[in-house]
Amino acid sequence: MDESREAEIIREVLQGDARAFEALVRRYQGPVYALMLRSSGNADTAADLAQEAFTRAYARLETFSTGKRFFPWLYSLALNVSRDWMRRDGRDFHVFMDDASVMVRDEDRVDERQSVDDRLDGAKAFARVMGLAPKYREAMILRFRHDCSMQEVAKALGITISGAKMRVSRGLEMVRSHFKEVDDDQ
Amino acid sequence: MTNDTNGRAPGRSARDDALDRMIAEAVRNAPEASPPEGFSARVMAGLPPMRPSAWLRLRLWLTRPRSVTFTPARVLPVLAVAVVLLAVGLFLPQGMDGPGGSATPDGPTLSTVRFVLGDEAATARTVSVIGSFNDWKAVASAMRYDSDAGVWVLEAQLPPGDHEYMFLVDGRPVADPGARLTRDDGFGNTNAILIVNGRHEETL
Repeated sequence: MDESREAEIIREVLQGDARAFEALVRRYQGPVYALMLRSSGNADTAADLAQEAFTRAYARLETFSTGKRFFPWLYSLALNVSRDWMRRDGRDFHVFMDDASVMVRDEDRVDERQSVDDRLDGAKAFARVMGLAPKYREAMILRFRHDCSMQEVAKALGITISGAKMRVSRGLEMVRSHFKEVDDDQ
Repeated sequence: MTNDTNGRAPGRSARDDALDRMIAEAVRNAPEASPPEGFSARVMAGLPPMRPSAWLRLRLWLTRPRSVTFTPARVLPVLAVAVVLLAVGLFLPQGMDGPGGSATPDGPTLSTVRFVLGDEAATARTVSVIGSFNDWKAVASAMRYDSDAGVWVLEAQLPPGDHEYMFLVDGRPVADPGARLTRDDGFGNTNAILIVNGRHEETL
């Protein structure tokens, strides 16, 4: 689905055809659900949060600028839903904004004892990315998985473009350094 | 670490580049859990009806997709005034890998808007478009006279949003008589309102 088709769908929804919104839900339910699963670690909670994200997007659709890609805008709303849930749940939502180094959940943390066995292996690299603080992790996912421009990464995360570049670069550096340490140990 | 100055930032090695590519590929291709069966239907079942406001309906109607909008010249006592707005599309590459020569590589997506002011008899000496997009400075948007077509022309690249403008003909402010929505500027002049949404432009 290209941007012009998305813009048509959004116009249809705004003109009163709510059913047209389902095409957008189907298109983006995967990444939004995956985000919520990364945030909550629970399938049922993730489904609830993903539903809330789409409901919020529907309610605010009038504010979307159709000249831009829908996905970064949706992802920005979804991140807000995730933050709100973390705050309600007593977690520190500042993980998205401030020093992320302290906010890797225990269940997401890769066992340090595995490190000597890690090689240049995509699955392990991805596990390392999942172990990063959310602000780095989500920047890398937007950039590499969803092919977002740095401008779109910045928009989705609510930060500056230079901040988005820094997060992607820093995230890569942290994962990279792990593999280099492994090499040094060999 | 082996330093290689072949286009790399200082301190980076070929190994760093290879690792970055591997990590990016890993993120791109990693399996991802799917949402539960019937998720989209569940979302749709929870949505209230969409009831667009009158303003939204007007805005949607005015910004509905069109390939080209053309308003023929209109006759005024001295000159004819018209605005032609062409949706030329998007031009800015996005992302940090865009060409360095781009004027605003990280700026907002701009659309090219063409202003045309009819003056077949070439009665005006200087004409400008002044508006909220150029701080109302005539020098920033002086129009050129196309003697073949008998019109003053200016192309401007504008970010998405609502822009107010008027013409300045030999120093006199002239409202666009073709504008369907205008705003009193509080100083006795009337500004036209132009909506740029990134794909289609329309004068209100």
